[in-house]
Amino acid sequence: MRRISEWARLGKYSLANRQQQETKLELSQPIRNCRLVLQLTGNEENSKPPHVEIALATTNDTVIRAVIIFAEGIFEGESHVFHPRENSLTSNIRVPLYPPKDVPVDLHIKTMVGYKGSLHYHVFELTRQLPRFSMYALCTTSVNQPQGFVKFKLNERVARIVMWINSSFLLLEDMQANSNGGLEVSFLSLRSSLPLIIEVSSACDIVEADFPGELEQLGSVLERVEEYHATRQRLSAEMADHSGVIRTLVVRAEDARLMSDMQSMRQWYGELYNLNKDLISGYKIRCNNHQELLSCLKQVNQTIQKAGRLRVGKSKTVVVSACRQAIKSNNINALTKIIRSGTT
Amino acid sequence: MRDSEVLYSVELPSPPSSLQLFYNDGGENGDQLLYGTTDGKIGLVQLGRGSAAHRWVLENSSGSVGTRQGGITCMDHHDITGDGVRDLLVGRDDGTIEVFAYEDGDESEPTLRFSTACNESITGIQGAVVGNAGYDEILASTYTGWVFGVTSEPMDRHMTSESGVVHISQESKQKIQKLRLEIDELQQRVLKERDQYQAATQSAFPGISAVPFFSVNDKISLNRSDASYLLSVEVQTAVDNVLLQSDVPIDLLDVEKNSAVVSYSTCDPESGNFLLATYRCQANTTRLEVRIRTIEGQYGTLQAYITPRLQPKCCQVRQYRIKPLSLHSRIHSFDPNRPYNTLTLKGQFTLPEMHAWVVFCLPELPERTPSGERAEFTFVSTFLDTQLQCIYGPGEAVFRSDNISTISILKDVLTKEATRKKVRLDISCEVSEESVVHALHLLHPRLEAQLMLAKQVSLIDALRELGSHETDTSFLSPEYKQILDNADELLAQYRKQPCHLERLYGMITDLFIDKYKFKGVNVKSRVPQLLEILDNYGSLDLQHLINFFQAQ
Repeated sequence: MRRISEWARLGKYSLANRQQQETKLELSQPIRNCRLVLQLTGNEENSKPPHVEIALATTNDTVIRAVIIFAEGIFEGESHVFHPRENSLTSNIRVPLYPPKDVPVDLHIKTMVGYKGSLHYHVFELTRQLPRFSMYALCTTSVNQPQGFVKFKLNERVARIVMWINSSFLLLEDMQANSNGGLEVSFLSLRSSLPLIIEVSSACDIVEADFPGELEQLGSVLERVEEYHATRQRLSAEMADHSGVIRTLVVRAEDARLMSDMQSMRQWYGELYNLNKDLISGYKIRCNNHQELLSCLKQVNQTIQKAGRLRVGKSKTVVVSACRQAIKSNNINALTKIIRSGTT
Repeated sequence: MRDSEVLYSVELPSPPSSLQLFYNDGGENGDQLLYGTTDGKIGLVQLGRGSAAHRWVLENSSGSVGTRQGGITCMDHHDITGDGVRDLLVGRDDGTIEVFAYEDGDESEPTLRFSTACNESITGIQGAVVGNAGYDEILASTYTGWVFGVTSEPMDRHMTSESGVVHISQESKQKIQKLRLEIDELQQRVLKERDQYQAATQSAFPGISAVPFFSVNDKISLNRSDASYLLSVEVQTAVDNVLLQSDVPIDLLDVEKNSAVVSYSTCDPESGNFLLATYRCQANTTRLEVRIRTIEGQYGTLQAYITPRLQPKCCQVRQYRIKPLSLHSRIHSFDPNRPYNTLTLKGQFTLPEMHAWVVFCLPELPERTPSGERAEFTFVSTFLDTQLQCIYGPGEAVFRSDNISTISILKDVLTKEATRKKVRLDISCEVSEESVVHALHLLHPRLEAQLMLAKQVSLIDALRELGSHETDTSFLSPEYKQILDNADELLAQYRKQPCHLERLYGMITDLFIDKYKFKGVNVKSRVPQLLEILDNYGSLDLQHLINFFQAQ
């Protein structure tokens, strides 16, 4: 919240001065038959980045003065406030939400409803759960078959799977299984515009998975890791070298001082100063290198985690440890095979 | 007072909020009066025939740095300590009750003996023997309606304990039973009323749901010592949450006593919001305190939406005006020996009209127009120590200040207000070059101190790491050693003043732009150079800055 400091830095000239608002007489007017209607929809309007929208409307002529939404994990703090200008109050509003991760979230919504210009408002408290995959919008048109896929067997009836889909996605109406007992539904991820297709049908035996795009990326990341390791070793060697030279220079400078040989002393200290500058620039390069290395390693770790998440329980731990082994021994092919089929 | 004519006025260090006769009877000669102020000071004045003499002032300070006690709401004298001399009992608006003893009669300040705190502001206090004969009690009433006593009686007089079983005396048992019955009865009544209300809102006829009215005790006051506003909001029942909204940028500073969970919401200046913060209160909190620092020149409204834990849920809005010269505070005398800039306004306006405009710009002024031909008020800037004098009457107003930015803000705001009311103003400004240099000299020590603090704090991490690697830190220079030793204090100081440095930069930039604005020159393009000089202020110095200001 320290953005305020940017405004303070330029004092009063950075922004136009605002006019004061008139204070109004307070009237506690009775509110008749007011109910609040709440709707959650996914939205990919062009003007804003893709978001989930909360639509609130009152059933009579009262206006919505402000909305406070309390939720954990989707806002910077723990709340989000929607507070329109005094002269643009209406009976229905839309508040955009941008959930960063796919987790189910409880939204506690407090809406302040009243008449324009009043200083007393009714507060309507509503709680809704935001489903886990609300950032995936239902597709009615056909989509390209994505290249990556996961196939697995579930010991569940189709009906239960359909129920799960209804509760985890934000759908205007519940889905139904079609006539031959199966279901095919496509979603579009609002975040990355990539399609997601869920096909439910009868049996398949083993867990197969293939994500060619991801695996290619993983390969290139591992190459870069190699490079960074090599650079790091080289830089450490250089640094060790430098510290040796520094030691000699300091000794020589001290000797020169004790012998009152100011000329040489100044010379030695001059060289020391240059060497120091080199050390500092070497340090900066090392820092950058280290940062890049860290981000690559993080990517590798994330890919392993994703591979692990495709499976549950014992198979998951098997996959993760096998992946780590393969990376230690630098065996890219084994890695690919593990991710695809879960065995070495 | 004679015929409602004021005999004389007494100057006090801050706005008074409570009065009490010294020793409850005025002291030896019946002419001594205690006063308590809104920012927590207590003082003694001796009222003479034609004037008053100040005897002593008890400043507001408490143990650790930064915690300040609230304003005084009520006082009484009663001998609680049992030493034959009456003690001073004080109740404050932040819930603190204190007992002071007079060591030296009326010669010097009393010393603090006991203190206790509760969570609601104290509205009345009295010492007496109430609960039990033989024991003195302090009786206090709070804003939410509690009346309680703080007694000198030992707590367990009525209870004896034998082999793990606690016996309560017959009296106490009866008391407890009676209280329980009362509570049950009240609960029944509340349930009945609530059912009735539900039925009314859901009936077939267009139901009526009136919003229950609850009273809010709010206070916003300027704290001179750290140039910030303290907003305190108190309600008679527990608070659920408070939403603070401002349509101008302000800084929210931390208040240690605050136990509410604060969360900032991203705001879009296009929608008129520069601050949206929610305070979610813990159970049974009836009072909330917030410290705010405004930016002079940015004026607008701060709104607080207060939602208590009542059913049906409702919310009340309180609005606070943030004035253009919000960080100025009233003082009594004006120092004529400073270089001043003068703003003179002439036009067809009456005294009430001009007074209304001045009230629009500055805090701590009465709403009513002062009687007489002319009005005169003097202010000091709590941030910079520059002064402002306002003298105005019908048709003419003169404002003098040694800070050119103050004059610039006044000019902008007054012109705007006059235009709104369609009053033509004849404006003339006399700008003093010296005043700019004088203001820079005033700013210099603050700037230096903040830069030094920032530099020291940035070294702390590095020094700490060195310290943890080497067992013996004697090779460090004395300056670094000092930083390491006082690291915690420095960090605490730094955190207490967020954006302080940014603010100083802002004021210097404003000073620069305003100086040339009065000459008709726009120097915004040279601001980056100015900021560069400020960033390197450690190695350059004040003269360099002054030269930059004066260069053409």
